Amino acid sequence: MPRNPLCTPTDHRVTRRRFLGSAAGAVGLSALANPLVAEELKKQRRQVLFVWLDGGMSQLESWDPKPNSPFGGPFRPIQTTVPGIQISELFPQCAKLMKHLAIVRSVSTQDNSHSAGVDRIQRGDPKNRGVTYPFLGSAVAKLVGPGDSGLPPYIWVKPMSGGFIYKDAGFLGPKYGALALGDGKPPENLLRPNALTAEEDDERNDLRKLLDKNYAAQRRTELTEANSHAYEMAAQLQKKIELFDLSKLPQKDQDRYGTHDLGRHMLLARRLLEAGVTFVKVTSYGWDTHGDHFNGAASLHPKFDRPFAAMIEDLADRGMLDNVLVIACAEFGRTPRINGHIGRDHWPEAWSVAMAGRGIKKGVVAGKTNDKGTDVANDPVDIGGLFHTWFRALGIDPTDVQYGNAGQPLPIAHEEMKAVKEVLA
Amino acid sequence: MQPKKAPADPNMPKELGKPLAPGTQVTRVRFSPDGKMLAAACFDGKIRRWDLNAKDPTELPLIAGHNGWVTGLAFAGNALFSTDSWGRLTASDITAKEPKLWTLEAAHDGWARTVALAPVDSPIATCGKDGFVRIWDRANGKKINEFETKTDILSVCFKADGKSVFAGDLFGIVREFEVASGKVTRTLEAKELHRLERIQDVGGVKNLLLAGDGKTLFVAGAEPKTGGFVQCTPLLFAFDVASGKRLSQYKGANDTEGYVTDMVWHKDGFVAFTTSGQPGQGKFHFWKPGAATTFFSGGKLPNCHSVALSPDGTMIAVSATNANSSGNGRVKGAGGDYPENTSPIQLWTVPKV
Repeated sequence: MPRNPLCTPTDHRVTRRRFLGSAAGAVGLSALANPLVAEELKKQRRQVLFVWLDGGMSQLESWDPKPNSPFGGPFRPIQTTVPGIQISELFPQCAKLMKHLAIVRSVSTQDNSHSAGVDRIQRGDPKNRGVTYPFLGSAVAKLVGPGDSGLPPYIWVKPMSGGFIYKDAGFLGPKYGALALGDGKPPENLLRPNALTAEEDDERNDLRKLLDKNYAAQRRTELTEANSHAYEMAAQLQKKIELFDLSKLPQKDQDRYGTHDLGRHMLLARRLLEAGVTFVKVTSYGWDTHGDHFNGAASLHPKFDRPFAAMIEDLADRGMLDNVLVIACAEFGRTPRINGHIGRDHWPEAWSVAMAGRGIKKGVVAGKTNDKGTDVANDPVDIGGLFHTWFRALGIDPTDVQYGNAGQPLPIAHEEMKAVKEVLA
Repeated sequence: MQPKKAPADPNMPKELGKPLAPGTQVTRVRFSPDGKMLAAACFDGKIRRWDLNAKDPTELPLIAGHNGWVTGLAFAGNALFSTDSWGRLTASDITAKEPKLWTLEAAHDGWARTVALAPVDSPIATCGKDGFVRIWDRANGKKINEFETKTDILSVCFKADGKSVFAGDLFGIVREFEVASGKVTRTLEAKELHRLERIQDVGGVKNLLLAGDGKTLFVAGAEPKTGGFVQCTPLLFAFDVASGKRLSQYKGANDTEGYVTDMVWHKDGFVAFTTSGQPGQGKFHFWKPGAATTFFSGGKLPNCHSVALSPDGTMIAVSATNANSSGNGRVKGAGGDYPENTSPIQLWTVPKV
């Protein structure tokens, strides 16, 4: 029988059939039964929460306000809990938690288009070597591993549809792709239907495994692996299905995070981090405010501020900020110049990224922009520098650790860039 | 042979001179009650003024002191009331060298959206993002009453008898508050003006206007199609004040025209209004209530944000935006600099209708 090297899109759709397969991958579960061992493993965790504000959040209405300047906009700056650091009035909750945060105000990147910028930022914009680098989530999944959670290492909580997003993995191969939870829900048809007994389900799975042998014989090895991996993830998620039921959480939690998409998804992210998932990405869409930007910001920014601050507060209360690196990022910032539609356009030239948690200094600002916010005043930081920073925060030395791509050693971050030392603990 | 130039249509507005150049962007323009002065509320926290007595308008000393953006302007005699996006309300004597009469630094917590005058010798009203409508004594700035909606209130205007105010919010709701009691006496719905797009509340009642006879309330904004870029079609409703029923509406042709940014009532029975537009678009318009479309839509300058009518009804001022105001990345000016956009203000004649 000829081998078919190609997958169809449906091969990667995560359905019940896809998910209800192998129970493999539950490595370490027996050890977790011992509370002392489990506690020790928790302490050793290295995790990441990556909040992606798709479209580009304005630095001027968030982390780097320029009040009463030509491009400053209508909003006031407010004092944070760290003397001398002010942020926008649209972030009152984050202002209270500034003591945990680090802001890099001197980010300067290369792309002002979404289509190129999203990938370029999330892949760390390394030197071009003719290979597709992994997104940060896939990179961390590879470099840190799945840990002790018994859950997939890279979970992406996002609006709209979900599935297994293998393209994120680049040359690492599909198994380091993202399991995307559309609207924060487990993949469709994940649960065993009530009409089906466990025995019947086992029989179905035996049949599936048999059929999968045929499937595997016709595919390239890495794709077969990815396929099996998806089954393993399904089985893992099924064992933790209670994670997705936010309705049983205290009403206070739901109020603090908000009942809108971003609030619900951040609350789910907290649950996933608590369960030990290595890398959780939360995406919010709709930040591309070319028109009526300031009213847009007045609506959007508080919906980031509250759940983000609630997350930081909760992670701190649980002692998890020692383990979890938290990053709030986008593909670029927004223009200082205010257009005729009272919007701000795309601006990679001088923008801000916020972070907190593992390996990150608390209550600091690194870098600065000029008085008008139109240029980085000194030492611009490209995304490669931020990748260095984040890897170092996770205890990975980018000058020492390399990927191996079929025998080709590849640096994990742009080798000509350096970490932002001012924000590293 | 040159083609013969068509004679100017006497029924169409005509430009009066070159645009005024405030050098910054403008949120509101208003004429003084005697028609001799034009004032512009600016993005740089200043109010610019022009003397219209001279052959060519002459810029007068600016009024400083506001923070963020100056958002609202209303003249009453020699007094000019102004609000800003940091919550300040100021009364200025436009004839004085030191124009400040009184000021309230925190009339609102943050963005004060606008200021409206009641009929003669009555109070003024402001509204804000903080969800409050506040009524002030125009003589001294003393608070008379306040009403809270807990929603962002974008617009406010008094009823003709001055005994109640209409306040329009982000969600397309217009509430009528009784000034004396602070009670909501009724609500009018214009929910087409709001859309929840993903997690963004878009639109709202951007403007309220009472017709000259006080019998019709105009409620304006846009029908939003998206958040972010904000594609939206201008939408303007006429409500019968007595019954609260909708009488008629004007809807723009497409979703690139933006929202209604400002409007004024002309004594000849029409509304003059401006639209924001996508970059390079946005006009000023004349609309007779009940008509299916406008009887004038134009203006050479795009992205219009305010319109003012001279007291005698013969002249309007429209603030717009310079060309090529948008662009991703570092769009450079002619001198290689990174320029601020500006709002040229064009004066026009108003045709007899």
